[in-house]
Amino acid sequence: MPLQGTPQEVLAGLDELTRKVRSAQRGTWFPLLLLSVLTLGGILVSRFTFQVLTVPCPATDPAAGTGCTLVKQGSPLYWPIGIALAYAATAFFYIRRSRNRGVGTPVRPYILTGIALLGVVAATTFWSTRHGIPRPGEPLDFWGLHLDAGSAMTGFLERLVGNATDVGLPLLVLSWVERSRVLLLLTAVYLAIELAPLSTGWSGIPFTSPWFFLPRYAVPGVVLLLGALGFGLAELPRRRNAS
Amino acid sequence: MTDQPEQHPVTGLDDVVHQRVRLGILTVAHQARRVEFGFLRTTLGLTAGNLSQHLAVLEKAGLVDIEKGYEGKRARTWLSLTPAGDRALRDEVVQLKRLIHQIEHGSSPRSPDPNPVEPW
Repeated sequence: MPLQGTPQEVLAGLDELTRKVRSAQRGTWFPLLLLSVLTLGGILVSRFTFQVLTVPCPATDPAAGTGCTLVKQGSPLYWPIGIALAYAATAFFYIRRSRNRGVGTPVRPYILTGIALLGVVAATTFWSTRHGIPRPGEPLDFWGLHLDAGSAMTGFLERLVGNATDVGLPLLVLSWVERSRVLLLLTAVYLAIELAPLSTGWSGIPFTSPWFFLPRYAVPGVVLLLGALGFGLAELPRRRNAS
Repeated sequence: MTDQPEQHPVTGLDDVVHQRVRLGILTVAHQARRVEFGFLRTTLGLTAGNLSQHLAVLEKAGLVDIEKGYEGKRARTWLSLTPAGDRALRDEVVQLKRLIHQIEHGSSPRSPDPNPVEPW
């Protein structure tokens, strides 16, 4: 235990001890793995809930009086229930690990932030779609603001009030409680992918295709999966040393 | 009115806290929030008897809470810092930083960072 010598050496020894404890507390690979599985699962959910409907075009549309194509895709229950279960499983994992290793866990702020933001996202989604999905040309009701559904700002808000908020922002909290710069960097990449329209449009998949959402979920899902693998591999030597 | 001569940082070090094993125990407990006897023993490289002696000193000084219980058939002892223990650790780190400053610059800083651990 290097806690003797000059005051500098004592302080350096305290830092070293703190790092050892943090290392024993970390379990970053587990929430990342769950979230990646959930995100990649979104591809299948989108695929199997895909519907193309023909609805009357709105009066303001040049094609008024004829039929417009409306694509319905995704389940309103998959994300809220899936993410809530992921947070519950993460809490269980960290508590169990804390008992096994004999060291407390700092994960509570991550779980509480995640569940609170999940509630905000679910309430916003419910508000926006309480009268059904807006028809082509209809404004999107965003907490009383009637936004143009086709505008870039509305697109950004839709991306913001989604996985960027209920997955990305809690990951920022996790990177803070685990004092992990690598997780902070990974979260920044994840948020950039979720918030910038990087994963839609460029792939050339038409919106009438059942695979339209493939890049939307595959890119962040793979980023999370690579993060889980990286953190898991980094933890292996520590686990071997501990056993 | 004359200024009081500034106390040397060494006089601010608490013997109960400054002892290297006890300082280690307080540091681990601060970061871990709650820590089990076995983890402390392994992390600090101590024998069970030695660790018990130091825990008794810290408990008597009101710096740690010790909770004994069972998980299944296994007896386990958990330790957490009291608010006084948290303050004592912060004070110790402040005094150490003042001491370093005194050695390097010949005077103490007015308000050194009281955080016992580095932020990231």
